[in-house]
Amino acid sequence: MRYTVQKRLVIFSFLCIPVGLLVLFLLYPTVKLFQFSFTNWNGISESFEYTGLKNYITAFQTPEVWTALGNNFLYFILHVIFIPLEVMVAVFLNNKIKGSNFFRSIVFMPYILNGVAVAYIFSYMYNPINGPLNALLGDMNLEFLIRNWLSDSSVVNYSLVAVSLWRFSGFHVILFLAGLQSVPADLYEAATIDGASAFQKFRYITAPGISRVIEIVLFLNVRGALQVFDIPFLMTQGGPGTASTTFTVYTIQTAFKYNNYGLASTLAVILMTIIIVFSMLQSKLFKGRDE
Amino acid sequence: MKNIMPSSLVSYRTSQRLNSFLLYLLFAIISLIVLFPVLINIFTAFKTGPELMKNSPLALPDAWQFTNIKTAFKMGNMLVGFKNTAILVIVSVLLNTVLGSMTAYTLNRFQFGAKKIIMAMFTVAMVIPFYTTEVSRFQIIKSLGLYDSMSAPLLIYAGTDLLQIFIYLQFIEKISNQLDESAMIDGASYFKIFFRIIFPLLIPASATLAIIKAVDIMNDMYIPYLYMPSKELHTLSTALMTFVGQRASDYGLLSAAILIVLLPTIIIYLLLQKFIFSGITEGAIKG
Repeated sequence: MRYTVQKRLVIFSFLCIPVGLLVLFLLYPTVKLFQFSFTNWNGISESFEYTGLKNYITAFQTPEVWTALGNNFLYFILHVIFIPLEVMVAVFLNNKIKGSNFFRSIVFMPYILNGVAVAYIFSYMYNPINGPLNALLGDMNLEFLIRNWLSDSSVVNYSLVAVSLWRFSGFHVILFLAGLQSVPADLYEAATIDGASAFQKFRYITAPGISRVIEIVLFLNVRGALQVFDIPFLMTQGGPGTASTTFTVYTIQTAFKYNNYGLASTLAVILMTIIIVFSMLQSKLFKGRDE
Repeated sequence: MKNIMPSSLVSYRTSQRLNSFLLYLLFAIISLIVLFPVLINIFTAFKTGPELMKNSPLALPDAWQFTNIKTAFKMGNMLVGFKNTAILVIVSVLLNTVLGSMTAYTLNRFQFGAKKIIMAMFTVAMVIPFYTTEVSRFQIIKSLGLYDSMSAPLLIYAGTDLLQIFIYLQFIEKISNQLDESAMIDGASYFKIFFRIIFPLLIPASATLAIIKAVDIMNDMYIPYLYMPSKELHTLSTALMTFVGQRASDYGLLSAAILIVLLPTIIIYLLLQKFIFSGITEGAIKG
């Protein structure tokens, strides 16, 4: 067979399945999402009507949507606050001390554990009756801190964000560590000879060396925080009331619990828009600084 | 001899020692925070009902007894969960590896018109929020007649994504074109070149990517929860969800079920750490 004919055959046969799957299960559903967002479809009946922008107006007027977005913001901001700590731990792990590989494994472990199992472990930890966390606080004479961690609407979100921090901080530490290890060691040696202080070394060598990783972590954080689903879904079902509902939990409930596919699609489109806008802003911000 | 050592060096050594002490202290605290919930769960799994009522939840079990583990394993449908999870992981990882490497090979070695469009499509797909597209993907799965069958998650997991393609592309870049050319002189077809030369050379990259993908699939709850509600199709994650939903008060039994689900990931993690680390960092830093 001639290679030009073969080439066409290879391109077609090698790409048709992957691209087909991509179109069928990701791109086409996204197009459908836009279509449904302008309808009053309930997900079951054969027919539906186009209702124009009605769903979009409803979405912005629903208080739960704003509560949910506020909760997502809490995940985002608390993870951002943790970034300096994560960088610090990564810097320490980068020291060649005995056992640093062992600590690295421990730090990273929560990220690979089964999410459902983690959610239920913490449900038990937070148990109000004879639960481990309250027992620990009691043993440490910190009784005044004892709470109904998952049923008190003023603390429930913090309890859930703590689980998210427990699960993902180690992952960020490992990413920062990888960034640190890509900084050449002789830069530090040269700086030491020139008499640079530890702070100066951090400011002029370490920080620029990991700026790309910080960018990635922030990007993952925006996406992750806007899409938080399994922790609140498994631990509180968004409750008590709607106190710990996140945007995704609310969207999924709107679709599958209340059979309002039209509104759920609208919410999905809104979320997609928010994620795209944030990602673009962020890459602008980082590009602007590099130049 | 003793007095030769300058005093500044002595104090430097003491401060080094103090530093490393503080470092170990910090890491001990972090390890405790990480391990505490997991250890408590393990203790609880081996405790009897009365023991849980009577003793502190922080205490070690009086006697390590396996009744909870046995009961949870049987009642929690865990064997079915193991089987289905294993099938999903093995089949989708194999498909995913072949599809991902074929895509990257084609994109790297050939120039053709639709190349830019295909890359753009994969890029767009990366920005789409995973959970929310499910609202419409669910309808597509249903209309294809794949609902409540293994094929729905299999097809979804098998699809390759931008990050995988990027990593494969980096590896293929390093494989010299001369290998392809000399094989062509010998009359080998492109198919033969890919399957006999390129694919075997991509095995290290594939191993890393496969392990990451396997952990992802093993830990996923959402897709099996949505598309395979039948009891016979439960995975480890959904079996655990059902089990917890049914008996929300017996913490010994629940912790045992949780422990059963945790074990496979922990074992894989301990055995394959190196690959997991390199895959995660390569995926994030270079992608």
